[in-house]
Amino acid sequence: MDFNQKKHARYFLRLLNVLPSHASNYDSTRLLVCFFAVSGLDLLDELDQLTPEKKDHIREWVYHLLVQAKNSDGEDVVARSGFQGASTLILPPATGTVCHSVPYACGHVSMTYTGLGTLLILGDDLSRINRKVVAAGVRACQQPDGSFCATLAGSECDMRFVYSAAAVCYILKDWSGMDKGLATDYILQSLSYDNAFAQGPGLESHGGHTFCAVASLSLMGTLHTMLSTKQLDRLRRWCIMRQESGFNGRPNKPVDTCYSFWVGATLKILDCYDLINKSENRNFTLATQDNITGGFAKWISTDVEPLHTYFALAGLSLLKEPGLIQIHPELNLSQRAVEHLHKLHLQWACN
Amino acid sequence: MTDSSSDCTCEDEYVFYRNRPHWKDVTPVPQDDGPVPVVAIAYTEQFREIYDYFRAILRSGEKSERVLELTNDAAQLNPANYTVWQYRREVLSYLNSNLGDELVYIGEIITDHQKNYQVWHHRRVIVEWMKDPSKEIPFTNIILAQDSKNYHAWQHRQWVVATYNLYDSELEFVNDLLLKDVRNNSAWNHRYFVIIHTSGFTADTIKHELEYTAGKIREVVNNESAWNYLRGVLCHTESGNISSEEFVLKFCEDLYETGCRSPYLLALIVDICEELFELGTSNTVFSVQRALQICDDLALEHDKIRKEYWKFISRKINQALLNRSTD
Repeated sequence: MDFNQKKHARYFLRLLNVLPSHASNYDSTRLLVCFFAVSGLDLLDELDQLTPEKKDHIREWVYHLLVQAKNSDGEDVVARSGFQGASTLILPPATGTVCHSVPYACGHVSMTYTGLGTLLILGDDLSRINRKVVAAGVRACQQPDGSFCATLAGSECDMRFVYSAAAVCYILKDWSGMDKGLATDYILQSLSYDNAFAQGPGLESHGGHTFCAVASLSLMGTLHTMLSTKQLDRLRRWCIMRQESGFNGRPNKPVDTCYSFWVGATLKILDCYDLINKSENRNFTLATQDNITGGFAKWISTDVEPLHTYFALAGLSLLKEPGLIQIHPELNLSQRAVEHLHKLHLQWACN
Repeated sequence: MTDSSSDCTCEDEYVFYRNRPHWKDVTPVPQDDGPVPVVAIAYTEQFREIYDYFRAILRSGEKSERVLELTNDAAQLNPANYTVWQYRREVLSYLNSNLGDELVYIGEIITDHQKNYQVWHHRRVIVEWMKDPSKEIPFTNIILAQDSKNYHAWQHRQWVVATYNLYDSELEFVNDLLLKDVRNNSAWNHRYFVIIHTSGFTADTIKHELEYTAGKIREVVNNESAWNYLRGVLCHTESGNISSEEFVLKFCEDLYETGCRSPYLLALIVDICEELFELGTSNTVFSVQRALQICDDLALEHDKIRKEYWKFISRKINQALLNRSTD
């Protein structure tokens, strides 16, 4: 089966323009769709399909979503710092107040991660980000049990946001965004009896949450100290057992394209990705490809959508599919974007 | 409460907010999407208008019955908007609304959006406010009857069970689910969750659970969930070793003798052999040579998709053997 690179690039370009009205359920997470499109084009090595002008528009729109307190603002304003998922709550200035004056305009930890990721892919130097303030916004979301909620504007708290917080701290090179020890406690509490990680303590182990847990520890630099050799071996076993053709996310669940990334990236972080059956994984992923519109679906013969299209490509990137550039498994950004980030880190260290 | 979902669902009867007399005093506030929007959505007129009114309300801070109605409409169009739910809760709290009605309402929304995080979170907050978990077990029963592996429903149930100490009938519930589908991994996980928070894995419980699980494995041998649970139980023996229970060793051997070559059985035998070798207590049945042989069998015949993995395990065991002989 052929990999339809050009069609996938066109699929992402369409996402960046206008989505149909039935996509309204994405209204509060448009930044996530933007990230999938921009990072997807990056993995396809097709970023040049975006004109310099278009890249500028994307950058400006992403910055438009940033809630960022000034140093003179109070603690409660600082706590709301970060990227919003969309402009739904951005109001035009009324009677001279600034547009972010509504207390519901509030950063969302996962959107802060995808916002920063999008900017890095576009080559931005993050100089407009007040790193201390954005880190403080992340820190404000950490709970006494170590988990993170998504946003102070009312949300659940779990492993997904621990990962987003860790990724933001890593990107900002500022771990004041979390109490690492507390976050680590939460991660270890979420290790299930079958040796993989769940969304939270006591819950069922799951491929996506296992990625979040393992990638977080790896970004903190403590994966091999917090987990014993035996625990790591058992975790590798659980992950490797997820493969049937593609990967499933839990025992006795059907395979699904996105787990080719979630479980695949976890295996990569655990240094044993080469032990999977690559051709079976590739064949399954390509069988979910839509050869007419571009894009990938969750399952064979179902509709394509942005999330599965992106993670199918991310999974193929792990497989070193020709035409794709390499992905950094922990940060879920291209290696190229991460190299750019590391250069920024050096500059920040010198300043 | 005056929530009327029909406002949104029946296009024919739909009256725009601008034409509703009791909204005349509110001036809608448009969205500021920046100079050049990206990933724009071609909103319907209805969507645009409802969110214009919602923004106006966020600005004015109004908390009233009509705002509850508005949040219902806004949530129907995008149940993933956490701010809509947050504001709705603030209104409910301010109006001192009947939370029992709200629970019925959110139950209906969850039924239509079973995998949406925000709606489950809303339900949880309402239950916390009411300090009344009595509807939650029946409610999750209904959702789990439609999808017995729904992660949100399980999470909600475990939260309720743990928070309000409602463990009493949970093991029975798990038993029923496993009778219906012995491969239900969520049910196995719940079994573990219930036991660890009630009796704990005492010697008697370990014995019972090992026998129960062995029985379930005999029914369906290629069931990873049951094998994983068996190993989970073994972690609670005095030594925590997978080779520590004579019952399990015999169970594995019996299955093997009767011709069973399930990869999960073979994997456990490999691990037992390896563990006994590490402990220095290998025997003729569970020997390191047998582990190597079974790794080959798995790679070449019984678990071919994991061929490279079993070759890797085989190399690892060989290395351990080598290290031992040079010690």
